[in-house]
Amino acid sequence: MEMVIVAPPAPGRLEDLKRRFFATPLQALLSLISLAIMVSTVWKLLNWAVFSAVFTTSGGPEACQAAAGACWSVIAARWRIILFGLYPFEEQWRSALACLTVVVMTVLSCIPAFWTGRRIALVWGAGAASYYVLMKGGVLGLSYVGEEAWGGLALTLFIFVTTCLIGFPLAVCLALLRRSELPWISRTTGLIIDGVRSLPLISILFTFAIVLPFALPQWLAGDKLYRVILGSALFFSAYQAEIVRGGMQGVPAGQEEAAMALGMSYWQRIGRILLPQAMRNALPATINQFVISFKETSLVVIVGFFEILASGNAAYGTGEWRFAYVEVYAFIAFIYFVFVFSLSRYGAFLERRMAVGER
Amino acid sequence: MVSLLRNQKVRNTLLQVVYVGSLAALVLAGIIIARRNLAEQGITSGFDFLYKSTGWDVNFSLLPATANDPYWWFFLIGIINTLFLGCTGLILATLVGTIVGLARTSANELAQLLGRTYVDIFRNIPLILQVFFWYALITHLPTPRAAHEAWGLLLTSRGLYVPAPNVGGVAMALATSAVIAAIALPVWLGRTSRLSQPFGQRATIQLAGAAAALACAAIILVVGRLPDAPLLDFPALQGLNLRGGLRVPPEFSALAIAIAIYGGSYIAEIVRGGFKSVGKGQMEAARSLGLSPWRVFTLVRLPLALRAMLPILANQYVWLMKATTMGIAVGFTDFFMIVALTINHSGQTLEVIGILMGGFLAINLSLAAVFNRINKAIALKGNQLRG
Amino acid sequence: MISSNSTKAGGPAVRIENLDKYYGTFHALRKVNLSVERGERIVICGPSGSGKSTMIRCINRLEQHNGGRITVLGTELNDDIGNIDGIRREVGMVFQHFNLFPHMTVLENCMIAPTLVRNQPRAEAEATARRYLEKVRIPEQAMKFPGQLSGGQQQRVAIARALCMQPQIMLFDEPTSALDPEMISEVLDVMVTLASDGMTMICVTHEMGFARRVADRVIFMDGGEIVEQAPPEEFFTASQNERTRQFLSQVLGH
Repeated sequence: MEMVIVAPPAPGRLEDLKRRFFATPLQALLSLISLAIMVSTVWKLLNWAVFSAVFTTSGGPEACQAAAGACWSVIAARWRIILFGLYPFEEQWRSALACLTVVVMTVLSCIPAFWTGRRIALVWGAGAASYYVLMKGGVLGLSYVGEEAWGGLALTLFIFVTTCLIGFPLAVCLALLRRSELPWISRTTGLIIDGVRSLPLISILFTFAIVLPFALPQWLAGDKLYRVILGSALFFSAYQAEIVRGGMQGVPAGQEEAAMALGMSYWQRIGRILLPQAMRNALPATINQFVISFKETSLVVIVGFFEILASGNAAYGTGEWRFAYVEVYAFIAFIYFVFVFSLSRYGAFLERRMAVGER
Repeated sequence: MVSLLRNQKVRNTLLQVVYVGSLAALVLAGIIIARRNLAEQGITSGFDFLYKSTGWDVNFSLLPATANDPYWWFFLIGIINTLFLGCTGLILATLVGTIVGLARTSANELAQLLGRTYVDIFRNIPLILQVFFWYALITHLPTPRAAHEAWGLLLTSRGLYVPAPNVGGVAMALATSAVIAAIALPVWLGRTSRLSQPFGQRATIQLAGAAAALACAAIILVVGRLPDAPLLDFPALQGLNLRGGLRVPPEFSALAIAIAIYGGSYIAEIVRGGFKSVGKGQMEAARSLGLSPWRVFTLVRLPLALRAMLPILANQYVWLMKATTMGIAVGFTDFFMIVALTINHSGQTLEVIGILMGGFLAINLSLAAVFNRINKAIALKGNQLRG
Repeated sequence: MISSNSTKAGGPAVRIENLDKYYGTFHALRKVNLSVERGERIVICGPSGSGKSTMIRCINRLEQHNGGRITVLGTELNDDIGNIDGIRREVGMVFQHFNLFPHMTVLENCMIAPTLVRNQPRAEAEATARRYLEKVRIPEQAMKFPGQLSGGQQQRVAIARALCMQPQIMLFDEPTSALDPEMISEVLDVMVTLASDGMTMICVTHEMGFARRVADRVIFMDGGEIVEQAPPEEFFTASQNERTRQFLSQVLGH
């Protein structure tokens, strides 16, 4: 990347160091300040998180609170509730396995060999289905666990995956409708997309969770969880639709003309010529959108779901661990960080690789 | 019939009618069902409720508010709270973002590393988690009794206490507008006198304008202060609680800090992108003219980078404004929380959702309008430069 | 061939009557009349903006005409979707910028339309594709992607792709304008071969050598009208129209 400037083999290390960090008085000052910030932060962090920290539950909360550093015992004591929420204790291996399914699915969809419409749909369809069966049970000798008992990381991942699974095809549809030659279709769709984009996600989640049941007949209202997922998917699709449309605009008009001249029908042109090229153009932005959407999944805590943030609040909020909120939030932040950071790094890598390919 | 369906024009018309018609029918059916359901609960539709008093209170308001005030007043308070939090967060985030962004573009590798670490960490943790974290941190601070004071500031679990000027509401508003004028005046003067005045005189005029406006503000504050009171009111412990000064509630601080840090990490990337987009040739040309590094930066690099940043920055600001809705997570009465509370208490669901959409549309559109004007004003003239 | 039964036999290949085309308020084609016989080779030339590309793009409905009638192989080109699809199946087109599908190999480019539109079995479509790639003299490039080929090779693939649909009429829209000079002849050679096989061809091109060798008729367009049409020898030597002579001196003068 652009950060590392490999120095040519210099005569002395000292001179090299001097050239890189102390070339001018201003540079020297900047280097010293940066160094001071770095050293003090890293030292304080390490001291807090490792050297003075308590890792075992043996001393109980009291001993932990007395320690100068982090109290990781709270994680040791409460990690199950953070990750799996109120899922029945003996069945939590199912929850863990379901999370693993999602991770495997995500990794698989990062492999170029799976980048055809059919294969990616297969991977996600199969992944979501096996997640659902694992979590809900009722078949294959698994006991039944209703959605109201799902929670923690498992619920967060479920909401994310279903949001993408519904939102992505919806986004493609919206993008196609918006670029339609028929003025009323494209204008109406534009209105929907821009309208959704101008609203905050929270207000949409709130509307779907709490207001929508008023506007639906009883038999259609369904479970609150699925309504919220629908709202989240709608929000995702409005943003993703613009990304897909951007990708479509990157495909030269001649491509569709050539397909038309060969006698291909509308759906053949879209499916075989336009979308494969548009999706490739839109790939980096799409991954970015997935990253954003994963982070935004955390907002469902506001409409009252027991996802990882809420379960984290519960983990320290009751009884003897009240003081250990920093540790709990650090743990949750770390989980998010691992997912989001690796995905966004992968996106940046793809972007660079594609930029090279174009040259 | 079949041959009619094969006709392109007939088919196109039919498709449009079916699409728009079914969407309209869906929305209409929703509204009808909702009105019937609400009517069953004894809620009559209409905007009359706006004039009824709410019966509940808000925890943060820049305007006077009591439980007797009508709903429309509370909506106004909500919008102002959202704008206030949004603007505070926006300014802080821009500050953080500029510093980190400059560190990332600096020639110093240590500063680069520092900036990059910052961005990587705070960009990748959801905003709401950061809001929760700061809120927990602030509410776990010592109680007012145990808090220690520094420079007239008090950090307590009930919020941050700062010294406040002892002035009346009218004088405060006047002074605030004078300060805004002090910022706006040099910009305006710079633009109107650009052609007629040489560079040195222009700077003098601008400085004089700003100084005059600031002096005005000071005079207003001194004259308008409350009788028999010092100009600055310091917070002090009285009994179990703190009196005097201005309390910044933990909800507001947590949100502002989180938005500043999270938004700052995004703005840092925008700033970096802006600087990266400035061509090497331009800087080489500036250097070859014999300009000092500082002049190269202020006269060439910064103005060009700003032009590249601004459109993306505008999007980011709109996003930040929408992020204030996370207030509901910690109980800050922003516009959205007022909406949610109103739905809970009054049951006027459809009307309030309409107000919510209208409010955000208005906020987004006015922000977009402001940025379009700025964009247009600073855009490079002519189209012969590209390519 | 499967194709030849689907349209009525007899009559001219293309008949254009009183064709009008507007872009907004710009009158791009003004009451154009043209009839092309089966097996006839037409070259259309004229300054840029004269409407020549617009006219041939109307023939397979890449542009929608605003007035007049177009009849292709006995079928009128109107709002009937069946007619449009039927005509496009019988009319091949080659573009200035090739418009090959960059995400498919050369072979896939040639196979996609026959398999999707004509429902040919893949094996048969592949055999046809290889035969035509042979014909345009690049059989060895079948498994490459368009981006890996030179401009001239890409244009020959584009010709092969159009031929794989076994069309009765071929439209060429400035097929050599985007090519480097040394690649023009390889494309023209293929087009000459095609002409000698008896294909109905309508070519928009400024290659006057090609027109002289191959064309049955040369048409000069200007300002959205057909100004003059004549057999090549007459067109190049004894043109009656001032605008034509001026144009020819510009094209041939350099």
